[in-house]
Parts: sequence; structure tokens; C-alpha cells
Amino acid sequence: MAHKFPSKEWTDAYKDAVNGNEAYRVAGKEWTHGAVAMVVKADRSLGIEVDTGMILDVDSGSCHGTEFVHGLEACDGAPFIILAPYAQWKEVIQGGVDPIKAMMQGRLKLTKGHLPTMLRYVESSRQLVVSASRVPTEFLD
Amino acid sequence: MAPVIELGPGAEENGFALMMSDLIRQNLEDHPHKVRDFDRLRGRVAIVVEDAAVAVTMLFEAGKLTVHSGIVGIPDLTIRAPSDDVMQMSLVELTPRLQLPDLRGEVTRQVMQASRQGRIRMYGLLGNVPLVVRLTRVMSIN
Repeated sequence: MAHKFPSKEWTDAYKDAVNGNEAYRVAGKEWTHGAVAMVVKADRSLGIEVDTGMILDVDSGSCHGTEFVHGLEACDGAPFIILAPYAQWKEVIQGGVDPIKAMMQGRLKLTKGHLPTMLRYVESSRQLVVSASRVPTEFLD
Repeated sequence: MAPVIELGPGAEENGFALMMSDLIRQNLEDHPHKVRDFDRLRGRVAIVVEDAAVAVTMLFEAGKLTVHSGIVGIPDLTIRAPSDDVMQMSLVELTPRLQLPDLRGEVTRQVMQASRQGRIRMYGLLGNVPLVVRLTRVMSIN
């Protein structure tokens, strides 16, 4: 069953996809730097009234929990925040985007977090993207 | 004096320029011994990320860095590489004492191989060896 993106259901399914991704388990094994928040910028034309965040509590190769939140300030507790418009996240979920290349192009923005750490665990970030592409998704547009 | 790292006009719209300024700022905070190299860096370095179609020019002026969007001025050193290899360059292992690329390191070997295979191309290398050495130290997160 496809889950509407962004939504709590999609976020919960993302957790399962991350934990079902063996390559993430290996690549993220040494990640102990805290949660990662993926934030969709508000877009009223799509019914996204406020910035909407999906917080992944990832640690040591597993996702221990997720939160679906409204408002950028609700993501403050996450050490890493990646912000992008809906269209960019859609591309990510569709599997056609390398996260580091997208950051270089300004399509994804690391608005909070220690970039050297992100670069050190680049394969872990890539596998989070692969996991997102495995969530059955119903898009808003 | 504390390192000064600024963005050139319009560079805040260039994701790669933001990344390079953040990377070097955070590297200097994490590894204060790199400030010595930063303070001695003088020169204009362009990095072109070919598959991402983005470029930056980093103007080092002995303790001050301005990261410009695109190619600005005439670079002393130009690096052209795909995004994967550009990011690998920031992961190069350094030798403990001399802080030179450690050929025993896995990433250093991958970067050397990418250079030999022509994926990473450096123009102006021969005349600017001290610039390249210091740039490597300042860019490496190790």
C-alpha cells in the first residue's frame, strides 16, 4: 500500500525501509552522531502549510524511531537538518538523486549539522536515500 | 587572528560554495593546528564539479578565504573532477607528522588512482606545490 508523502504513515514506513536495508546497516554501523531530520519546505499550492519534518533517530546502522513534525523549530533537537522543497524530495524518493551532488547543486540544504561528519559517512547518507526510494509512495502532485 | 571565511557576492545561492566554506570553517575549528596552514595560504583555487555543473573559486589571502560562485579571476590552480572524487579529496588521510597525503590510506590511494585515470585533473599543479599541499591539509577532514 502506497503512503502519502509527506505523512506520519510515510515516515513510519521509512523507518521499516531503513531497517530493512542491509547496505544501510553496514554503512551506518559507525554512525553515532544523532538523529537526521528531513524537512519539506512549506508549499501551500500542495497543501503543505508549514515546513514539515521527518526525524529519523538513526544510530549504529538502525533506525530506532521516527517523528513526523510540523514547523522547522520542531526539528531543533536533531543534530542534522536537511531542508529542501517538495519537488526535490520527490526526486530523492524516486531514486534519481545522489545526496552529496544534490547538496553541491543547492537542491538539498544542510541547514544544521557538522558537514565533515556528514562527508565521512557519505555512504550512510546514500543508503538512507536508497531506503526512501523503497517506500511505496503516493505523491501529492 | 581568527580565520575569516566569507562568501563572495551571490555565492549563498551556490550549494557547493556553502559546502566548501562550511567544510573549511568546521575543519579549522576541529583541528586548530590547520590554522597555521590556512594563515599561509595565498592563491586562487577553482574547483569545477563536472557532473554537478557547479564551480567555485576560493581566494586565499593569508588568513582570509572568500568563496566565490563560478570561476572568478584567473586561478593559480584549477581542479576538475566529478562530485564523488571532489568529496573523496576531503577525506584524504594525512601522515601524522608532516601532514602529507598518506599513501597507505585507502582514500588517498583512491584519489591518486582517480588522478592517474584522468578523473581528477589539476591545472597549475607544478608551479603551485606549496599551495596544493596546504590546500590538501585545510580541506582534509582528517
